[in-house]
Amino acid sequence: MSGQRHATLVAAASLALTLTPLLGVFTGIGWTVPVLLTVAVVSTAASLIRAAGRGQGLQTLAMVAALTAVMTAAFNGGTAVLFVIPTLDTFAFWLTTINGGINDIITLAPPVAAEDGILFLTMLGVGIVAILHDMFIVGLRTPALSGLTLLTMYLVPVSVAPEATAWFWFVLPAAAYLWILGDDNLRRVSRFGHRFTGQGRLVGPRFPSPLAGTARTSGALFITATLMLLAVIPTNTSGLVDQVAEGYGGGGGPGGGDLGAVDPWAKLYGQLNRPDPIDVARITTDRSSPGYLRMHVSDFLDPERGFGPSQWEQEDLAPLGSLQYTGGEVYEATVEVLDLPDPVAPVYGRPVEVDLNDDWGVLPDLNVVGSRRTGLDSVESYSFSFTDPEFDASVLNATDPLPEDDPLRERNTAHPEGFTELDSYLEEALGEAETDFEKVLAVQDYLSPTNGFSYSTATENSGDQSVIVDFLENKQGFCQQYATAMAWMLRAADVPSRVVIGLTRGTREGDEWVVSSDDYHAWVEVYFDGPGWVPFDPTPSTGVSGSVPFDWEEEPDPDTDSEDPDDAGATDRPDATDRPNEEPTLPGQEDPGETDETAGADDRAGPGPLGFDPAWLALALLVPLPFVPALWRAGMRRARLRPGRVTALGAWDETLDLAADYGVALNDSLTPKQTAAALAAAAPDAAAPAEALASAVAVHRYSGRGADTGPLPEAVTDLHRALDKSVHPRRRLRALFWPASLAYRFAAAQARGASRVGRLRSKMSWRRSNARGDGAVTGRP
Amino acid sequence: MAFDSSPAQPPQAPPPSNPQEFKATAEAVLTNVEWVIEGKAQTIRLALAVMLAEGHLLLEDVPGVGKTQLAKALARSVDCSVRRIQFTPDLLPSDVTGVSVFDPEKRDFVFKPGAVFGNLILGDEINRASPKTQAALLECMEERQVTIDGNTYRLRSPFMVIATQNPVEMEGTYPLPEAQRDRFAARLAIGYPDVNAEMAMLDHRGEYNPLESLQPVCNGEAIVRMIATARAVHVSPELKRYAVDLVNATRSNAQVRLGASPRATLQLLRCAQVLAAMDGREFALPDDVQQLAVPVLAHRLIPTTETTMGGGDTTGVVADILRHVPVVSRMGRF
Repeated sequence: MSGQRHATLVAAASLALTLTPLLGVFTGIGWTVPVLLTVAVVSTAASLIRAAGRGQGLQTLAMVAALTAVMTAAFNGGTAVLFVIPTLDTFAFWLTTINGGINDIITLAPPVAAEDGILFLTMLGVGIVAILHDMFIVGLRTPALSGLTLLTMYLVPVSVAPEATAWFWFVLPAAAYLWILGDDNLRRVSRFGHRFTGQGRLVGPRFPSPLAGTARTSGALFITATLMLLAVIPTNTSGLVDQVAEGYGGGGGPGGGDLGAVDPWAKLYGQLNRPDPIDVARITTDRSSPGYLRMHVSDFLDPERGFGPSQWEQEDLAPLGSLQYTGGEVYEATVEVLDLPDPVAPVYGRPVEVDLNDDWGVLPDLNVVGSRRTGLDSVESYSFSFTDPEFDASVLNATDPLPEDDPLRERNTAHPEGFTELDSYLEEALGEAETDFEKVLAVQDYLSPTNGFSYSTATENSGDQSVIVDFLENKQGFCQQYATAMAWMLRAADVPSRVVIGLTRGTREGDEWVVSSDDYHAWVEVYFDGPGWVPFDPTPSTGVSGSVPFDWEEEPDPDTDSEDPDDAGATDRPDATDRPNEEPTLPGQEDPGETDETAGADDRAGPGPLGFDPAWLALALLVPLPFVPALWRAGMRRARLRPGRVTALGAWDETLDLAADYGVALNDSLTPKQTAAALAAAAPDAAAPAEALASAVAVHRYSGRGADTGPLPEAVTDLHRALDKSVHPRRRLRALFWPASLAYRFAAAQARGASRVGRLRSKMSWRRSNARGDGAVTGRP
Repeated sequence: MAFDSSPAQPPQAPPPSNPQEFKATAEAVLTNVEWVIEGKAQTIRLALAVMLAEGHLLLEDVPGVGKTQLAKALARSVDCSVRRIQFTPDLLPSDVTGVSVFDPEKRDFVFKPGAVFGNLILGDEINRASPKTQAALLECMEERQVTIDGNTYRLRSPFMVIATQNPVEMEGTYPLPEAQRDRFAARLAIGYPDVNAEMAMLDHRGEYNPLESLQPVCNGEAIVRMIATARAVHVSPELKRYAVDLVNATRSNAQVRLGASPRATLQLLRCAQVLAAMDGREFALPDDVQQLAVPVLAHRLIPTTETTMGGGDTTGVVADILRHVPVVSRMGRF
């Protein structure tokens, strides 16, 4: 197969791989047939024209013609001539089809059926991309640009249905891109160093080039070096080492490895920005005014990503049976799942009983009901009972802060050091606040609309350090930023707090609460010693449908400090039961040792379980790397010129290596004398030492008696100095840090290895004898 | 026997001359010859080297560049017997080797030696003689003896044939077959002199013919001694390997139909020994071999038709081989 035909095939196949994310956009796979056919026809047209030896212009025309023909065949409404030739009526028909398609795109939410209009647009888009793709890869031979076409293909499903494009859909297009680049570069590498005849034909194109081995090895080396470099570049937030370090710290990157670990923040943002909200659940409950439905809890803070989702595994879950009644009135709720693919089950308040199967469990500390084995998409409905504790502002205000060394306090106040911008805002926000509760209210007030903050989902989908600064500066954001900023500021003020992601109660329809995708929400929980975790919602209620005002979000009235018996029950109870309950039910994930590590990973400088950050190890390995060739070369020189053990051959080897380092062109068909002459031509001062070295090696090699090696080390030094003086400074640096002689020696060693392989191969198979060509005669012509 | 040449007897080798004497004598001869042939020092050096390596020399060049002059000057510089044969189509083998004629007085056949019984034989325009006459000379060259009527007569020592031929004029010539070209240790082309040398030549030749006034600077015995000295020059295994590699490269070269013979390797190294001795060295260097590669190897190769059609020749092939064969074979990088 010729190189071009191979490249065409690679182009088409890689494009086909890139189409896989579309699987999430369409229902069924019927659409793949016409789309793949389009790709195939376009590629075949290009290939045929190329085979005919035509140029890029004709190739592109042919591809466009082929695309038009395919489109006509698929959509002609009976107007085409001979089935594939479009007429004016066909184009008019296409226009209507396109309009229909655009309408469908606007009105329908994915996944959609591949109906006429949408299928037409898909085929047209894929066809145009296929043409560009082929041009980039085969015609113009700039495969790197094909990344643009691949990205274009990927962007379509991503923008249409963000939740339908999990990270693993990205793997196939990425692999396709690597394939394209790899295939093209392999072709280059295998040609590297091929000799050409004067007429431009390859000499022996069937045999690998003599330098192909070197090319492959150096290619592999450079890729390794690049990967190592990428891993330690600090600006790359998703650097390999970060991931590894986090892995050690018990955090784990986004994605965590299994289906259930989709970033809840991304989901939150995606849901809130849906052009067409969908109902996600219908809930019936006997609680007249239910609160928020909690789903995820984010309790570790990272400067790069803000509050990250709490990481947990199936083993961390306590069985649902371990849920305990902690007092207060018990309510019932039944959730009809409409579109909740999450691995967590939304629950109100503090769940007491949940009727889900054994795959589900509860995270004791976080009050999250979840599963790593299954998702809610396999559950039609579930019911649970819960209590909904109420808190009293004055009680909250009266609680004492947790002792400083309490692990719960340590974990929930951990925050990155050196976030100085926040400190100034915090100072402004806290004002005179003293108790934890006052601080909470102060921060919440600070973020209120009265201070100029307003709700907007048009901000960035992130909660990292810079975004929070932007939020505090611009006073615009949505619940993610509100909750993150509040919890962050509270942590900075040493108040244990965390972020909860879930759903608001939605809207009431008769007996049911209907929760839609617009009701995804994030709020804050603050820990008070005694009452336990108390929810606060800094987001203005105007921005959140179904938001619930919490009674305790008011300044405590010193006059009404009386203990309402009901409230006392609610506040005292956790004091009696929650506290002792909490510590022993922290299995695995939350043991104190790991708590430290989480904090360590948070401020990113702390030691992992290995005792140091692997990035430092990589850096320690990398820093001396540039000096390795220079050191190696110096060691070689010293070994050759060691006093008393210097030989004429050793000194000569050093001479030749020096010549190579300083770029004096030599080859192995030069005699020592000619070599000396070449050195003298390169550097006039080198003439005398080079001659001395050459005559020494000549005497040694050809006279049958030893040469006088006494003056040789000095001659080598003189030669080195003379060469050093004669070259451009840049070349001097290169000779020092990247001596070419090392590369030559490496290539020579490779060649020796290759010749051994070659001998073996010639023993095994018949090869055309090199010693005597077909045309040779043994006697007279 | 009227002829004073005794039947084959190995001559007593005279004691070898020392390196200084060798160098001095060689330089004297070179100076002498250079007086006649201006600006061709390297060619003259190589010609002398061939003589001292007991080889035969083929001078191939266009008319008038001094082939015969070179041969004559070389011969005159050495005090030895010089014979000249002008090869023509009607020259007979007996003219070269000699013939037995009936002596009525002695009533016996008496051997009349031919032109070949000399120290230096100048064979002018050797390609004009018929193949059988050429063959007669070439047999003597290799075997250094003549056999007539069952008697074998040994040729003199030193013995050297310097043949000239004109590569351009091919009308009525009998080109030497390669088996016979192989007998010549080297083929030299003299080439046109450069401007200065040609000017100097005009100056000198205006007054007298320098060839006429040339005086011998050594005798045949000295030459024999020098030959022995040259044979004692050390040739290291590395250098032998290099010579073999070079010759092998001619055999495997794609542009050549027939490569050089083992005799070529032998003569390459013997000439290299002479060049080393002429430099006053006791060992030969790859530089010596490189100087000799084209003269010693090129005339023995038969180029492929493609090479000839493409305007290439064997000189170019050998030069190319020199550029690609490593001086030290696989023992080190260079």
